[in-house]
Amino acid sequence: MSGPLLGPARRMFELALGEMLWGRRAVFMGLAAGAPILLAVVARLTLAGGSAVLVVNGSRIDSEAMFGTAVSLLYLRFIVPALGVFYGTSLIAEEIEEKTITYLFVRPMARGAIVLGKYLAYLVCVVAVVLPSAALVFVIMVPFASIGPLFGTVLRDLGVMALGLATYGALFLWAGVSFKRPLVGGLIFVFGWESVALVLPGYVRRLTIAYYLQPTVPGVATLLAVAIIALFLAMQTIERREYVLEQ
Amino acid sequence: MIIAADHLSKWYGHVSGLNDVTVSLPEGITGLLGPNGAGKSTFMKLVTGQLRPSAGSVRVFGEPIWGNPAQYRRLGFCPEHDAFYDHMTGVEWVAALARLHGMDDDAAAAAAKRALEAVDLLDVGHRKIGSYSKGMRQRVKLAQAIAHDPQLLILDEPLSGMDPLMRRRTIRLIKEWASAGKSIVVSSHILHEIEAMTANIVLMHNGRVVAEGDVHQIRALIDEHPHRVWIRAQDPQAVARTLLARLEPSRGVADDVASVRFEEGAVVVETPKPDAFYARLTEIAASGEAGLIEEVTSPDDNLQAVFTYLVKP
Amino acid sequence: MPIHDQGYRHYTGGRALHGRGWWVIAHHGVLDRLRERRFLALLLFAWSLFVFRAVELYIGTTVIRGAFFFAPSEETFRTFLEQQRLFVFFITIYAGAGLIATDRQSNALQIYLSKPITRNNYIGGKLLTLALFLVAVTWFPAMLLLVLQILFSGSLDFVISHPRLVPAITLASMLQVALASMMMLALSSLSRSRRFAAMMYAGIVIFAGVLDGALERVSGNPLWVLISPQNTLLLLIDSIFGVPPDDTAVLGLAVAAFAILLAACLFTLERRVHAVDVVA
Repeated sequence: MSGPLLGPARRMFELALGEMLWGRRAVFMGLAAGAPILLAVVARLTLAGGSAVLVVNGSRIDSEAMFGTAVSLLYLRFIVPALGVFYGTSLIAEEIEEKTITYLFVRPMARGAIVLGKYLAYLVCVVAVVLPSAALVFVIMVPFASIGPLFGTVLRDLGVMALGLATYGALFLWAGVSFKRPLVGGLIFVFGWESVALVLPGYVRRLTIAYYLQPTVPGVATLLAVAIIALFLAMQTIERREYVLEQ
Repeated sequence: MIIAADHLSKWYGHVSGLNDVTVSLPEGITGLLGPNGAGKSTFMKLVTGQLRPSAGSVRVFGEPIWGNPAQYRRLGFCPEHDAFYDHMTGVEWVAALARLHGMDDDAAAAAAKRALEAVDLLDVGHRKIGSYSKGMRQRVKLAQAIAHDPQLLILDEPLSGMDPLMRRRTIRLIKEWASAGKSIVVSSHILHEIEAMTANIVLMHNGRVVAEGDVHQIRALIDEHPHRVWIRAQDPQAVARTLLARLEPSRGVADDVASVRFEEGAVVVETPKPDAFYARLTEIAASGEAGLIEEVTSPDDNLQAVFTYLVKP
Repeated sequence: MPIHDQGYRHYTGGRALHGRGWWVIAHHGVLDRLRERRFLALLLFAWSLFVFRAVELYIGTTVIRGAFFFAPSEETFRTFLEQQRLFVFFITIYAGAGLIATDRQSNALQIYLSKPITRNNYIGGKLLTLALFLVAVTWFPAMLLLVLQILFSGSLDFVISHPRLVPAITLASMLQVALASMMMLALSSLSRSRRFAAMMYAGIVIFAGVLDGALERVSGNPLWVLISPQNTLLLLIDSIFGVPPDDTAVLGLAVAAFAILLAACLFTLERRVHAVDVVA
């Protein structure tokens, strides 16, 4: 990386990467990655215990379909948005709350570079944690013979997850830069608005990110656009805004 | 001038933090004084580009500071608040911030160690900042401000939380930095500490600059509070007689003596014209006509007096 | 004397005896929160379901009498309390995350505990601060719905024919309030960051619930409910309102798990609330 924005962003990325992987913050990521693996192990043991198929809500469901359900319900509806809310809102808002943002603002780098560097560190960390977790769940749940034929589908699912993490992260990063209590608003958006809007008819559901993460919806361009715009807005907002740190 | 503020104002909603401040700070050490809520921190935040002026302008090294990150290469800021990445060690933290100035890893580590050594923290630089005492935390803040060798240091209450020994050492350090060519703006409400560092002050109150310049010159200008001079002598009454005897008969009183009173073994004179008075007193002491004059001090030719007389509650 | 002394006067009033500190802390905590307009808006919004239910009751008791779908029942109040969980969640995060975390961050614990109040007073006051808000969106609107039902119907028949309704509402609300406030307070005491405490609470509530649901479906074993505090609470509330689980052993274990969780929260608070933190 080089240039007035990219060089400082790279240095900020290196600093933020260490922050993301430190101590208690990593616990959430660990839980988010580990919980589905636990689920997969239980499912596999249940199968190994003699149940040829599992019955869920009266429907027979095999392990391949169970993995698909895990991706769409567990990962895309909970883990991905939850990590986006938790970490995206914290990236800048926590620095402001802890008043450590002062030290970053008096360095010879554009404020937007701080945002960009932290966002990239977030993205690298969550992708590095969530995608291997999903891949491991796939390997545990799906019979070995089916792994090859389903490989393309899994790659697509992993790509969608990465895109979801990028989009939610950028959106809530912008919220964290703009609002004082972004976490509550983020939780309301994800677990309130998106849950309701997705079941409403018409175009309302398109006002969610979760809609574009569905496999039947061609949402890559929209998600990328939302992510890029949100990131750009976050960079612009932090350049223009002044932060009065409470004494 | 290093810092130039022109009709600078800052409002927080309806509350005025800074009110039409026009001041220029020269090179060297400038003490920024004032009671709590005077606007010192607001001024420093404007000077360091943390806040945007509501009106007016502020320039550092001749350029605006808000939205001009390149200026931070030459500026080091030690904020008042106690905020760190507590999980990092002193060396790690200072080096990380030094890297954000564009230094590579080795240069940043070396700069961090030099800075920590300068503030006597190198031996505990490997410990987490969360385990530091208040004074150590204050010093590591100073270290991050100087690690990249800036030309201008803005220090907001840098001695807060330090023990007396460390305060003296830090004051000495600040003076050394100034001798090395750095310009330093240091804020405090501990007057004798500022006095120990510099005679050049900016006194603020209620968001305004009340006085700026050399503290003695400011003192001399405060006419409604004549200088008090304490004179210990073998014969205080003789000194008083001599002082009062040398007067112009037409005026009835020595025009450089406003009042005279006696204390144990001393006479205390109030004078509206300190320069003329001291010249006359020197003559009297040299001639010996009033006996032996043992000691002459001015209890209020100092910052405390300036502060007290100008910053009335 | 005509000119009164304007100088300092020593306080000559009474001082509350040891043990009232919890009320002072709670009183100020509640007033502080109520000064925030966003929080007031959240509290008001939390009553929106009450308004909907009240209209439903009105229709069922006065406009369309006897229509089964509008007729109130114990189920009405049970589902009302369960639906209020969402608001309990958000109010707990908003009002509770910083209760102790902020005090730890600003070293205010030393100041609190240097006053003649005990740690129990401090914890009790903080707990009451959050509990009052939660009661205001659970027990209070539920009881008000019952009062409205009586007022609209003009008789006490409904209450008389459902004698366990009032104790059920009270007990279910108290369990809801106790779980949310104890958990949030314990998590708040573990951190100096309000945000991190909020994240921990949200993470535990959401993830545990999702995980429990998935594991129960996959394994068919209802005991997985015990990993989710919220789902365990739901099970208990259902039982209180006369809808016990199929497997009564699960109920017993749920009660035990709930009690253990509350005890763990108390233990955490006892360990974390100290005037001084020893840093290695």
